[in-house]
Amino acid sequence: MSLDNLILITGRTINQGIALEGGKTTKESVRAAGICAFDKDDFKKLDCMIGTPVKVMTEFGEVVVYSTISEEGPHPGIIFIPMGPWANQVVNPSSQSCGTPTFKGIKARVEVVKDGKVLDSVELISKLKEG
Amino acid sequence: MSEKSKITYKDVVCPFCGTLCDDLEVDVNTKENIIIEVRNACQIGTRKFFSSNPSEHRYEVPLIKENGSFKEVSWDEAIEKTADILANAKRPLLYGFASTECDAQSKGVELAELLGGILDNTASVCHGPTLLAEQDVGVPTSTLGEYKNRADLVIFWGCNPVHAHPRHLGRYSEFVRGYFRTDGRNDRYIVVVDPRYTHTAQIADLYIKVNPNEDYELINALRAELRGVEIDEKEVAGVPREKIKELVNILKTCKFGVIFFGMGLTQSVSHHRNVDTAICLVRELNDHTKFLITPMRGHYNITGSNVVFTWNTGYGYSIDFSRGYPRYNPGEFSSVDCLIRDEIDASLIVASDPASNFPAAAVKKMFKHPLIVVEPHHTPTSVNADIILPAAFAGIETEGTAYRMDHVPLRLRKVKEPPGQCLTDREILEKLIEKVKEKKGEL
Repeated sequence: MSLDNLILITGRTINQGIALEGGKTTKESVRAAGICAFDKDDFKKLDCMIGTPVKVMTEFGEVVVYSTISEEGPHPGIIFIPMGPWANQVVNPSSQSCGTPTFKGIKARVEVVKDGKVLDSVELISKLKEG
Repeated sequence: MSEKSKITYKDVVCPFCGTLCDDLEVDVNTKENIIIEVRNACQIGTRKFFSSNPSEHRYEVPLIKENGSFKEVSWDEAIEKTADILANAKRPLLYGFASTECDAQSKGVELAELLGGILDNTASVCHGPTLLAEQDVGVPTSTLGEYKNRADLVIFWGCNPVHAHPRHLGRYSEFVRGYFRTDGRNDRYIVVVDPRYTHTAQIADLYIKVNPNEDYELINALRAELRGVEIDEKEVAGVPREKIKELVNILKTCKFGVIFFGMGLTQSVSHHRNVDTAICLVRELNDHTKFLITPMRGHYNITGSNVVFTWNTGYGYSIDFSRGYPRYNPGEFSSVDCLIRDEIDASLIVASDPASNFPAAAVKKMFKHPLIVVEPHHTPTSVNADIILPAAFAGIETEGTAYRMDHVPLRLRKVKEPPGQCLTDREILEKLIEKVKEKKGEL
């Protein structure tokens, strides 16, 4: 299943903040920031279990993360990925000439990939080095 | 453990977020040089203190990458190689500085000037637009103590302090009792404006759901309504006309109001224009009542890095020294833009993790060239670096000064010794300055 015409927002969560301190390269950071939170009704349309990997696609890139239902809803049409390596694969790098990239409010599409692999932060970032 | 080997430090300042809580109590086992208990801090601050203890994630000796794996080297060798790379680079980038103390930041400025490089801090990817807006239109602001004692209306716009500044609500803005707000939360009216019904919104009195990327329209609708202009649209930015009227009435009739804003304004489309117009709204509200605005700064000393860079160079971030004197132009000299244009040919990262925090397109370019990090523990940036210079945690293993989000400077305390061969950020930068001077024939 897939969902089109979503808006991606990224930002701080307390779990992501905790994982920053000494756990950036661990599985803890994957659980904290390698996730995408959906509105409850949007998630039903995906027809999958919580935790099923989903591929988030924008015109700037794509990334596979674990799906979850947002505790900060309802926000139909909006998906949320905590700030960090996973979110930054799909955000808009354009700063509109002010220096700060557009980390929020990006058009996105999501597809369920049941056998998708969610990479840990080092695997994900190191791919940028090889590429 | 005997009581003799335990020392309790009181009034410790937390080196995590811009709230800079200064009431922590930290128990240290002096015999083993480890933190054993942290009281009063939030979950993130507590974790930061514990992460300074020796662990597999902590760097304790300088490392240089050779044939794909890290080799332990002496400080002399690491400094020599780093200075070589930086002195030979045409356009080196010095980035980070938000999570260290002011003396180290000042040394960073000195090194950047010496190298003729680009100097930038993490405001570049968070509240840089706030600085631009403040330069455009000024800013009516105050210290957090004034809000604590006086504010009866608190607006959180595009920020979520329950997650990002966990003790802000309890210390300054929501639950705390103040001199004129003796009943704490009951004496304050809380409004949250956000596209998501955040945990902060869930404990507010009024939640305004704004469409993503349409904050600029909503703020200007509020300004229009405030001036008595009849809004002819049924809704603006997803907010019904009636709700806009209701909010303006709340804004006008409070005794002392404050807007705290976050990345919701600076990182969405329109960036500094969102902040510009929010400041103008606050300015106009002062025709009716007392109103102020304060950005929710993220890293604990990001405000300090803006202050230190400004008193050294005249500019807060995105500074270019290639002509021998400082020039400032975010968008041109900002890290992400310079990297994406592939201008940077070597990077020195101090107390930051740009590989995690920059868009992928910029990280790819950063990895193409030599990368040196001054960093206490493993991060996606450090594991991909060519040289790792192990640093002590500022505010835990070294003292220094940090600026709170309202520009109040506080003294950071040292509660334990750094492990292994770790040096402070300032000492590392001093060694680099000396070595680069030597290589450039200036000694």
